[in-house]
Amino acid sequence: MNVQLTGVAKSYGGTPALQDIDLEIGTGVTGLLGPNGAGKTTLLRIIATSIAPDRGKVRLLGHDPHRGHAELVAARRGLGYLPQELGYPADMSTFGFVEYLAVLKEWNDRRARQQEVRRVLGLVDLADLAGKRVSKLSGGQRRRVGLAQALLGDPALLVLDEPTTGLDPAQRATLRRTLSVAARQSSVLLSTHQTEDVAAVCDRVIVLVGGRVAHDGDVAGFVASARDRVWLHDRPVADAVATWRDPAGGVRSVGGTPPTGAQAAPPTVEDAYLLLVGPAAVEGAA
Amino acid sequence: MSTTTWHADPNLLRAYVEGRLDAVLSASLERHVDACAHCRSQIGPLVEVPVLEEAWSGIRTGIESGRLPLLVRLAQRLGLPEPTGILLAATASLRLTWLTGGLVTLCFVTLASILADGAALWPFLLVAPLVPVLGVAVSYGPAEEPFEALTVTTPYGRARLIMVRTLAVLTLTLPAAALLGLTLPGPAWVAVAWLGPALAMIPLLLALASLTGPRLAASLLSLGWTGLVLFAARDLPSTWPVEGTQQVAYLTLALLAAAFLWVRSQRTQQIGVAL
Repeated sequence: MNVQLTGVAKSYGGTPALQDIDLEIGTGVTGLLGPNGAGKTTLLRIIATSIAPDRGKVRLLGHDPHRGHAELVAARRGLGYLPQELGYPADMSTFGFVEYLAVLKEWNDRRARQQEVRRVLGLVDLADLAGKRVSKLSGGQRRRVGLAQALLGDPALLVLDEPTTGLDPAQRATLRRTLSVAARQSSVLLSTHQTEDVAAVCDRVIVLVGGRVAHDGDVAGFVASARDRVWLHDRPVADAVATWRDPAGGVRSVGGTPPTGAQAAPPTVEDAYLLLVGPAAVEGAA
Repeated sequence: MSTTTWHADPNLLRAYVEGRLDAVLSASLERHVDACAHCRSQIGPLVEVPVLEEAWSGIRTGIESGRLPLLVRLAQRLGLPEPTGILLAATASLRLTWLTGGLVTLCFVTLASILADGAALWPFLLVAPLVPVLGVAVSYGPAEEPFEALTVTTPYGRARLIMVRTLAVLTLTLPAAALLGLTLPGPAWVAVAWLGPALAMIPLLLALASLTGPRLAASLLSLGWTGLVLFAARDLPSTWPVEGTQQVAYLTLALLAAAFLWVRSQRTQQIGVAL
């Protein structure tokens, strides 16, 4: 297992952000869903060695990052991390920014480092913009620069906090391909608000609610949990968790008591998520 | 289109590519290849792909990564490792503009102290120790570290990065300030004595910055030092801020700050909290 968390807890100023988290994560893509404030970013920051938990044990790639500097550095050597918010220096070129981080990741040989920087920029379709200043790039392009640095050295553990934010549909498709390839040998852990990302790329889904794991399992099983609880009808179901207009016509309702004539629809990750999280999800998505 | 009626022998082309021809023959062949499309098409496949790729990669990198600042290039000629140069290049206070500003300020306060004929050492004593301190504070990067969340999680680590930058700033600022100090009127030992508070303020800055961030830490230290120097300038001898007893106090504070940093990094579970 690349990530092992036992009884991990973290609070900020007395407010618990994570409580009693036990998780084991191996190779493959794991999606982390949850309303805003559910603790997703806190969990990812702990796994990325950016912060330490208040309680509990963390093992990353076979190392205990809290047991001393050598163990910490050993864990970090196999880690790629994209924070939720990443500042960019105003005067660095795209290439220069990724190269700077490559140096911090101990790519000391110049030729190997520059080849690697070029490779990861190619992976996120930014090879042609390598000479452009990061400050002149669009939001989606900057997000991809952030992704490029996380991919440096094909890390065994890739931690991505909302990687698809700001990407257009074509770029999201490219990213999913890149992550699928990476996940053959690595653990990819990503948080997202886009349930379709989970359906498209994840093998496993973890749902956090109020700092606790509310669901952990494979994606197919998660979707199946919403079977016979999603309805298509010509009007909304009164006590549904959520309703919206279906592109195929009619109204889609998740949960609630189906009226006569309502037709059961095949569920999606989004349906299962809404059913699990309930009103908190609807508020969180606002 | 080719206008020539003869073509170079494949062996001749190969010898050219491998650099075995003399200068005259090479120049002659180059003129022919310039004008002959057939020979150009023959010579292309003879050039090894890795050689071409390396040349192209070098050209692209030169354009894409930008030039390192002059000071870093100079330091690299003096033996600074190339990766460290890249890290230092991102340091705001190593930029020529910042350094020039610091040096010009130092020159002015030295001049002020000289013109006052030793009666007013305080302008120099006020500014000289603060130049390296502010340099180190600024070297944390514009708006601190814009990608700090990331730097913290790299194997290199933020603490080591800050130490490397601090050393670089001290290497650049202290010798210049020491040379200017030699031109001061009054006792010669003052030229060296101001290094006491200057060096003591570095661990103090790092310790305070671990609690408050570098901006506030530098402001607090600057205010404290200014208050001390101006207080001394009113009634006490002009050399008072750098005399023996005070130096012992600075040293004690510096040791306490270093011990605080050490304990904080050992005791607290929080990763990267010290520095």
